[in-house]
Amino acid sequence: MDFKGYDMDPAIYDEMFQSRDEPRAQFQQLYDTLLGVSAGALNSIQEQVTRSFSNEGISFTVYGDDEGTERIIPIDCVPRVISADEWRFLDDGLAQRIKALNNFLEDVYNDGRIIEDGVIPADVVRECPQYRVEMRGFNAPHGAWVAICGTDIVRTNDGFRVLEDNLRVPSGVSYMVANRKAVKASLRRVYRSSRVREVEGYGRLLLETLRELAPGGRSDPSIALLTPGVYNSAFYEHMFLAREIGAELVEGRDLLVDDGFVYMRTTTGLRRVDVIYRRVDDDFMDPLVFRPDSMLGVPGLLHAYRLGNVALANSPGTGVADDKSVYAYVPHMIRYYLSEEPILQNVETYLCRRPKDLEFTLDNLENLVVKRVGESGGYGMLVGPHSTPEEREEYGKQVRANPADFISQPVLALSRAPCLVEGAFEPRHVDLRPFILHGQQTRIVPGAFCRVALRRGSLVVNSSQGGGGKDLWVLED
Amino acid sequence: MLARSAQGLYWMGRYLERTKHVCRLLGLQTAALVDRPVQEIHSGWSRIYNSMGRLPPGGSLERDSTDEFTLADSFTLADDLTFERSNPDSVWTCLSSGRENARQMRHCISPEMWTRLNLAYLRIQKLDILEIWSSSPESFYVETAAEMDTFMGVAAATMYRDEGWHFTEVGRYIERAQLAASLFLAQLAEDPATEEEAAADWTNLLHAYSALETYQSRYGIEVRPTQALDLLATDPLVPGSLCRSLDVMQAELVSIGSGPNAASSAAAQRVAGRLRALIHYEWPDAQDHKGILERVVQYCRDLHDMTAVTYFDYTIESLPMR
Repeated sequence: MDFKGYDMDPAIYDEMFQSRDEPRAQFQQLYDTLLGVSAGALNSIQEQVTRSFSNEGISFTVYGDDEGTERIIPIDCVPRVISADEWRFLDDGLAQRIKALNNFLEDVYNDGRIIEDGVIPADVVRECPQYRVEMRGFNAPHGAWVAICGTDIVRTNDGFRVLEDNLRVPSGVSYMVANRKAVKASLRRVYRSSRVREVEGYGRLLLETLRELAPGGRSDPSIALLTPGVYNSAFYEHMFLAREIGAELVEGRDLLVDDGFVYMRTTTGLRRVDVIYRRVDDDFMDPLVFRPDSMLGVPGLLHAYRLGNVALANSPGTGVADDKSVYAYVPHMIRYYLSEEPILQNVETYLCRRPKDLEFTLDNLENLVVKRVGESGGYGMLVGPHSTPEEREEYGKQVRANPADFISQPVLALSRAPCLVEGAFEPRHVDLRPFILHGQQTRIVPGAFCRVALRRGSLVVNSSQGGGGKDLWVLED
Repeated sequence: MLARSAQGLYWMGRYLERTKHVCRLLGLQTAALVDRPVQEIHSGWSRIYNSMGRLPPGGSLERDSTDEFTLADSFTLADDLTFERSNPDSVWTCLSSGRENARQMRHCISPEMWTRLNLAYLRIQKLDILEIWSSSPESFYVETAAEMDTFMGVAAATMYRDEGWHFTEVGRYIERAQLAASLFLAQLAEDPATEEEAAADWTNLLHAYSALETYQSRYGIEVRPTQALDLLATDPLVPGSLCRSLDVMQAELVSIGSGPNAASSAAAQRVAGRLRALIHYEWPDAQDHKGILERVVQYCRDLHDMTAVTYFDYTIESLPMR
């Protein structure tokens, strides 16, 4: 199958091609293979991959979708390939970043040196809704406030850029593994000959990380994964991870706190829980401290955590470090805590709380992406070039009314990769979300959930907004 | 094991057993539509609804109806028992509920089990009564029952024999015993006009439990109600017999062991023992088999409640913490 109709845009970085018909070195084997496969065969592969997702019930829930609670995440069968050098760069940058972010969290909930020293304005931190006063004075075990992080990275013509760090309950890792399993089974020969680094070991790394967090260094800690339940959009992933690490998949109603210890209800009585990988948001975790109407949490959980009787991954309060305003200061954190230059660059960000940035944003709405600091998942944002004058007018009013709630960024020329669309290769914008684990040491599995904006021209890759996935191959040296 | 996980697997076992049971009955019933007399068809529907403790759509069955009416009525009844979402005993509802429990406890079962079950679920999602009626309805029921058997076969081959397995089995065999006892009671309540009709009804029942060949090799070609009931109740080698279901269920409960409250666990074990004793020791000398079957149904319900109280929903005051 050829790439004759493939619509390359020289202004946009193409993951596969450096110029027309000239694939990048890491794509060469895959490119040659694809040329040798008939359109019919490739369509069969695509169908096979999609069917395997359906048969195995690998699903995702789109909020507000009437189709029902289970929707199969679309997957494109053409992998994205990252060279060993590119990965090494990303790996170093991500390890550096999580270290600085954990230092920041330990600092802002304790001495606040970074604020005292004027590196980050106090109001940016303290006015952030994700800053949890309840966590003041707390020292996370091994400094691991964030034990599991999913960082969104895009590639532009200027190289990789970090779009955001997801430090609360990042999801998508199960799709990284599922995509690999499905694609590997269909592109067997080229997979083998390409020498792709494996991602299936993620569960083992996660388990090692969680074990390291066990209170008092307990050697065989009891680990549970706390899910909001079957109606949560990422329930499949919760189930998948619980299975991978051999943990009980618990809901708030399965747990109770007694005398500062957490127990789960088993068939033989109450059993102590040492480590909780929680996939419930801060707000819903403990009705005694956070939202009192939460039915998903465990009364007294935070108290047990603060006593050091249970480990939580991630800690409550980590959201302050992935707030969209605080994000702008991550490079400063790296310099401040690590005395290093950031390896991975941020996207240029204008904080509308600053009068100059506000003015610039309002004057250039049609060229910018404007985001609400408290929103995620691609919700509540304005993509300037794709908006109507009326939408900009309306959005501008909201920005002017509450400038501190907004940031803006230039529209990025996200890189594109070939996807199989209706029997032909077409370029689609992609990003990647690698997962970083941080216990007593940092571990990064060589792979990522590669997200694809499936609609032609769309820049929105979020699964919750109808984006899809691709397998991402990191090659060995 | 987490109490809620055990409960989910228990319910998975129950729902999938019920799916198979209803499919078996409907498979025979739809096959009967091809060549059996109207009376026998009527008796079959009546037995199915009575055993479920439900009324058919419309409230009652038309006993003395024409061939044409019976066939049209059968279409409605089959739809009610197969695809009706609001019918808790329909094939669709039981399979969906079993699959939903499996989905929530997917980390406790093997991937092979999940895939088998999900495929069966996806298949029924694409069908409706018109579609299966237009070809060979009995094939649909036979295949769906076979899918449930395959699922349990895959489970037997791949599932770790921990508490999850034992609770699945307890659910499955409580359901099997209760359904069998209810069905036998419904059959006893039928009042066939002739001996031939009675023999045909019991032959169907033996068939539903894959026990017709066994019966014939033991008692001969002529099917007598008392002997058929004896075989289905007391032969431990017949896979669906009451005796076998209760034996397996008690053994599985023993494997699970005590819950957090020793007294509650012992009480559940005693009921399981009493259930077995009904078939093993009371049945052979009893005249009132109907009475025994009624007690089996009641004890199964009691045991269900006691299992929940012992292992899933126990009170936590004054329990030791580990």
